[in-house]
Amino acid sequence: MELRHERRASERPLVSVIDDDDSVRDSLPDLLGEFGFAARTFSSAEEFLASDCVDQARCLILDIAMPGMTGPDLQRELKLRGREIPIIFITASTDQTVRPRLIERGAIECLFKPFSDTSLLEAVNSALHLK
Amino acid sequence: MEVQPDLASDEVKHLQRCINDLVTVLALPAIWSGGDPSHVLHTLLDALMRMLRLALVSVRLTDPVGESPLEIVRVAEQRGPMPSAHEICEALSQCFKNESRKWPPQLRNLMGEGDVSIVPLPLGLQGELGVIVVVAERTDFPRQTEALLLSVAANQASIGLQEARLLSQQKRLASELDRRVEQRTAELATANEGLRKELSERRLVEERLGQGERELKRSEVRKAAIVDAALDCIVTINHEGCITEFNPAAEHTFGYRRDEVLGKRLVDVIIPPSLREKHRQGFARYMATGEGQVLGKRIEMTAVRADGSQFPVELAITRIPLEGPPSFTGYLRDITERTRARQELRRSEAFLAEAQHLSRIGSFSWRVETDEITWSEQLYRIFQIDRDAQVTFELIGTRIHPEDLAVFQEHIARTRRDRSEVRLEFRLQMPDGAVKYVHVAAHIRGDHGQLEYIGAVQDVTERRSSEEALNKARSALSQVARVTSLGVLTASIAHEVNQPLSGIVTNASTCLRMLAADPPNVEGARETVRRTIRDGNRASEVISRLRALFSKKSAVTQSMDLNEATREVIALSLSELRRSRVVLRPELADNLPLVTGDRVQLQQVILNLLRNAADAMNTIDDRPRDLVIRTEPEDEDRVRLSVSDVGIGLEPRAADRIFEAFYTTKDEGMGIGLSVSRSIIERHDGRLWATPNNGPGITFSFSIPCRPGGVASDGTRASRIPSVSGAA
Repeated sequence: MELRHERRASERPLVSVIDDDDSVRDSLPDLLGEFGFAARTFSSAEEFLASDCVDQARCLILDIAMPGMTGPDLQRELKLRGREIPIIFITASTDQTVRPRLIERGAIECLFKPFSDTSLLEAVNSALHLK
Repeated sequence: MEVQPDLASDEVKHLQRCINDLVTVLALPAIWSGGDPSHVLHTLLDALMRMLRLALVSVRLTDPVGESPLEIVRVAEQRGPMPSAHEICEALSQCFKNESRKWPPQLRNLMGEGDVSIVPLPLGLQGELGVIVVVAERTDFPRQTEALLLSVAANQASIGLQEARLLSQQKRLASELDRRVEQRTAELATANEGLRKELSERRLVEERLGQGERELKRSEVRKAAIVDAALDCIVTINHEGCITEFNPAAEHTFGYRRDEVLGKRLVDVIIPPSLREKHRQGFARYMATGEGQVLGKRIEMTAVRADGSQFPVELAITRIPLEGPPSFTGYLRDITERTRARQELRRSEAFLAEAQHLSRIGSFSWRVETDEITWSEQLYRIFQIDRDAQVTFELIGTRIHPEDLAVFQEHIARTRRDRSEVRLEFRLQMPDGAVKYVHVAAHIRGDHGQLEYIGAVQDVTERRSSEEALNKARSALSQVARVTSLGVLTASIAHEVNQPLSGIVTNASTCLRMLAADPPNVEGARETVRRTIRDGNRASEVISRLRALFSKKSAVTQSMDLNEATREVIALSLSELRRSRVVLRPELADNLPLVTGDRVQLQQVILNLLRNAADAMNTIDDRPRDLVIRTEPEDEDRVRLSVSDVGIGLEPRAADRIFEAFYTTKDEGMGIGLSVSRSIIERHDGRLWATPNNGPGITFSFSIPCRPGGVASDGTRASRIPSVSGAA
């Protein structure tokens, strides 16, 4: 079983979580694991760009407001690099008007914290074209 | 304003007398016409004695032509036997070494007793004709005008003497000619007698004519030089009132050319049409009766220029002391400036009265020795006391509010004793019961025995009530600011609370899924629950911080740690600052003394300063958005908090205005934050100010005392801080 688990883990699609908030970085990987995805967390966009995840991640769960490079900044940067990863934005802001704008610019979804596990699963599946 | 009118009047009189004398001297050649040198000198010496009140005047002609040497002396009063004229002239010449050209212009104390001034006046260009010596028993002789008169007289005498000499030469030549012609005639036939007679007569007539014209011309030139240079308008008229002279100053003042007005009636030229008839009548009356109201006096009247504009002039008219039909000289001076100054004085007095009325300030003087009190009009109005009433302390006392009367009287008694500055505020009670607040300030003037207080009384009743209104408005403003900052804060509050909530929800979901698995992942579930609890506590902390900030408690002064209050504000603002990419560096001093104040209000100020600093940097991209918040002890009993940014800074001009309500440099600001902040700090007996940094940006600082005056013990103090009801 241990072996099966590892094999399966290597086959799992990699989802990267980028958020400066500890609570989010601590909680999301377990939930994503329950959904059957692999997860790696970064506390800033710069940290993510410096990692090998840029080439491996199949989906980004990306906080909008972060010190330094913001979520939308990273989205633009990736586009410039020709590395367009499906992005699910998450935000603690209550400003609902950002959602349509972000989706218009190519985001899969924009979730407002706190969000339910099902809405997250739907968004990730949608990003990975699983359903 | 007229400065020292007596002096000016004396000066004018003196100058008029001088001009009259000059005219007299200038008129002398007319009298000399045809006379001999002796006649010339006699009249001249008489005139000089009279005009200059001389003690002695002598003349010696050194070069009399064909005459015996001429020496004349005039003495004011004879003291004992007089030496002969020759002896006196000889003595004077000896004094001056017979070298009149080298004589000093003036000698003193040469003869007899007492101070005398002796002035030699050479006759002729080189003194070749002789010398006049004038002696006066005054040391200030000759004054400037007298020296002028003397030099004119000497010139006139020189010319008169030369002409007299010329005349006698001509006479001699004429008689020589006559004699020759007579000889010739005897040789010729008597038939030629008629022709000879005619020729001779014609020649004489022509010579006389030529001579007369020359004299007239010279006299005119000299007179014109004086009249032309005069600063006043000088106009002469003949007995018919027609203008015979009109000097350049008159041309300039009235705008006429001399040749335009010569021969015209003066009245028709310079008197406004409406006044002409009156002037005509006055002139006619004088000519008929010799009575006039104008002659010899200084009068002010209105004159008119060529362009019709009217202006005030001062006029003095003198009669020219010449024989024949009377003629007059008028001296006119444009006194527009003087009149305007006088009017301006009157106007500024009126302004002062009006200003006192508007500003509700009355002024007074109080002679301490005599208790003589003088009030301005406005002061009667403030006290509602009849203007005719004699102001006494007793009368003033009837208007002072009974509760303030004792204090007032005590103050007056002390002022009498100490001669101190007066500065007090008290209430008045009007007969109808109305109460007025007045502020009195006065300072002492004058020396011993004539001490006088000069001061002002201001009715500050309205200011009192507007101060109360202002306080109300200020606390209302503070409410608005509070609500506004709450509105902006809402987003940051939500953000702050949503973060832990998000963790809680995610952890709980995960937990459920782990427990639902087969077999259940209990260890994983336990971990998610731990994280849930942690996030729940985190959310709770946020809420309690908010509760502290927005509690419904009204304003309370309490002993508090400014560092702790600052940390709470930082915690609340951190995420907002982070989103604005602001790097906050707290430098909070250890061992900061406690301060006494309203915690919520002070936190509001700190929050406002932090947000302003962040806003000032939101366009800065070429440098880190550093923000330093610092606390430190100041002096011994104060604490200072400052917030420094590296933002856009302030225009120098804006620095004065940023603390004004509704002044803002931000696109979306309301401009009340700093104004309210300052009033909060001032109510803590502190001050709030801004200083530009050495580098980019600006530092806002406030400093408050550790124990604002009497907060702990004095209950009224606390009530001065307006209550702030929670806006949550």
